[in-house]
Amino acid sequence: MSMDADTIRHLSEVSVSVELQTEDMILNIGPQHPSTHGVLRLVARVDGERAFDVQPVIGYMHRGYEKLAEVRTYPQITTIVNRIDWVSGYANEIPFIVACEKIMELEVPPRAQYIRLILTEMARICSHLVFMASYPLELGAASPLFFALRERERVLDLLEGVTGGRFHPNFNRIGGVKPAYGSGSQTRKLVQDLPAGFYRDTRAAMSRVLEVCEELDDLVAGNEIIHVRTKGVGVLPPDVAASYGVSGPNLRASGVDFDLRKVEDYLPYDDLDWNVVTGTNGDCYDRWWCRLQEIRESAKMIQQAIDNVPTGPIQAKVPKVIKVPKGETYVRAENPKGEMGYYLVTDGGNGPYRVKIRSASFSNLSILPWVLEGAMIPDIIAIMGSLDFVLGDVDR
Amino acid sequence: MTSNQSDLTNEATGTETTVHPLQEFADGVAAAVGGVAEITVGTVKVKVPADRWVETHRIARDDLGLGFFSFLSAIEWANEVSVGYPLSEPVEERIEVISTLGDLSEGKRVTFSTDLPLDSPRIQSIVEVFPGANWHEREAHEMFGIVFEGHPNLVHLYLPDGFMGHPLRKSFPLLSREVKPWPGDVDVEAMPGEAQSGGGSDEPSTENPEA
Repeated sequence: MSMDADTIRHLSEVSVSVELQTEDMILNIGPQHPSTHGVLRLVARVDGERAFDVQPVIGYMHRGYEKLAEVRTYPQITTIVNRIDWVSGYANEIPFIVACEKIMELEVPPRAQYIRLILTEMARICSHLVFMASYPLELGAASPLFFALRERERVLDLLEGVTGGRFHPNFNRIGGVKPAYGSGSQTRKLVQDLPAGFYRDTRAAMSRVLEVCEELDDLVAGNEIIHVRTKGVGVLPPDVAASYGVSGPNLRASGVDFDLRKVEDYLPYDDLDWNVVTGTNGDCYDRWWCRLQEIRESAKMIQQAIDNVPTGPIQAKVPKVIKVPKGETYVRAENPKGEMGYYLVTDGGNGPYRVKIRSASFSNLSILPWVLEGAMIPDIIAIMGSLDFVLGDVDR
Repeated sequence: MTSNQSDLTNEATGTETTVHPLQEFADGVAAAVGGVAEITVGTVKVKVPADRWVETHRIARDDLGLGFFSFLSAIEWANEVSVGYPLSEPVEERIEVISTLGDLSEGKRVTFSTDLPLDSPRIQSIVEVFPGANWHEREAHEMFGIVFEGHPNLVHLYLPDGFMGHPLRKSFPLLSREVKPWPGDVDVEAMPGEAQSGGGSDEPSTENPEA
C-alpha cells in the first residue's frame, strides 16, 4: 500500500466543499485528556473536520532532572532516571549506569548483565502491554485493556520480586545489580540474588504473555473498525522520521531495519537469537503491529536468557564511594519507546558535571505538528496514541 | 585515564600504538567537515568552528549518511558553580554546543561540538537541515541562553513565558537547596576509617536459585 500525503488527506474528504466558507476555529485538547498519557496540551487550528498548525504545549511535567543530576552523587541518580519514563522505569537506568561503567572501565560480571537483560526485556513487555491496553481503548475498544493489563501485572510481579519495586526498581548499581536483601551485611547472608522460583515463574509468565499476544492479535488485528481507523492513517516516511529523531518501534514501523540492541554493546543481546521487527507502511496500524511483535520477540529472548544465566558474582569490585574519573561519553540504549541516551560529562568527583538526557518520547512527540497537519480531528487521537509517548519521558 | 588521552600521549611520544577501531571513521568525518576529531570513551567527537555549524550538519546528512538526528544540547564550562561539583582544574570558560547524529544501518554516530563565548552565545540554527532540532534548540535557548539565529519560533519550551534566567547555567542557584540542605548528603560521608576500601569480602554468593 503506497499513499502519498495528498491521497490520505482526501481519502475521506466528503463534505467540506470549497464553496462552503467556514470560519477557522482554535481547538484546544488537554492538558488533561485521557489520550495524552500525562499532561499535554494541543492547540490546533480547525478548518471543517481538519486540523492545521497543531502546536503541542509541553512542560507541565518538567522536573529539571538534568539540573538535579548535577547536585547528586552517581548512586543517587538512578532514582531520578527511574522516573523519566515511568512505564518502563527499569530500562531507563541501563544507559546511565553503562555510561558510568564505560568511563570507569569497569568489567560487569556476565551474570549481572544477564539479569539486566532479562529485566530490561520485562520492562519492554510491560511498556508495550500498556500500549496494547491503551491504544485500542483510545479508538473505542475496551476489551483488549483487560487482556493486556492482566498479563502485565504478572510480569510486574516478577519485576517486583527481584527488585522490590514495580515501577521504580532502582536496582542497578555501578558495576552490577543490587544484592538481595541482607547479602551485603556482615551478620546475615542470603544465598541467592534472584528470588526462589524466579525461573519457573518467568517461564510460566512468558508463555502466558505469548498466549495473550495471540488473543490481542485476534481481538485487534481481526477487527475491521480498527483497520479502518488505523491503516493509511498518520503515515511517517522513514527519511522524515529520521530527520526528527523519531526512533524505536515508531521508526521500525516505517520499514527501517535498525535496532540499537543489534548495533550497540551495552547488554549481551548478541548471545540470543531474535529478530528486528519492521513494518512496511509506517502508519498507525504498523506501529501497533510492530509493538505486538516486539512483545513476542522479547518473551522469546527472556525464555532463552533464563536458560543461560551464568553463575558467578553479580557485582564488580568497586570502591564504597563511587568516583568516576574525568571523561565524556554518550551511551544510548534501545528503550521500549526508542533511543534513550545519556551524554555524561564527569570530572573525578562524587557526581557528574553535566548529564544530558536524550529521551525517546521527546523526539517522537516533536514530529506531531508534521504528522497531524491536515489530519481529521478523530485521527488526531489515533495518530497521537500510536506514537506511544509518555509525558514524563518528554518533559524529563 | 580515558582512551582518548592515552592515544594522545602515545602519539606525542611516537611509540607504537594500537589504533582505535573508530579512528579511521573519526578522521574521515573530521576531514569531510573541516574539524578536529577525538575519541572519548567510544564516542566520536568532532569539533568544528562555529561558523561552519550548519554546513557541517548538511555535509554529515548528505555526504556522510548521518541522517538520524539524535539530540542537540550544550555544556557550560565554568570555573565557578553555585550548586553541584566544581571542575577539578580551571578551564577556558565557554559554552559548548553539542549535537549527535547517527546512521540507520551500522549504528555509527558522531557528536559535533563547537565553542561559543559565555557572555553572548549565538549560533546559526540547524532547523533547516534537521527539523527535529526545533525543540532541542528551544530547550537549549531557555536553559543556557543560547540564541539560535534563523530559528522559526525561538520561545520557551518548558518554562513559563516570563521566567527569568537560564536554569542549566552553572551560575543559576537551585532554590530548593538554598532553602533546605540536601538530606541525602549523609549518604556520601566517608565511611569511618576506610573511605576507599572495596566492596570486598561481604559480597553475595550467587547460586542459581533452582540449579
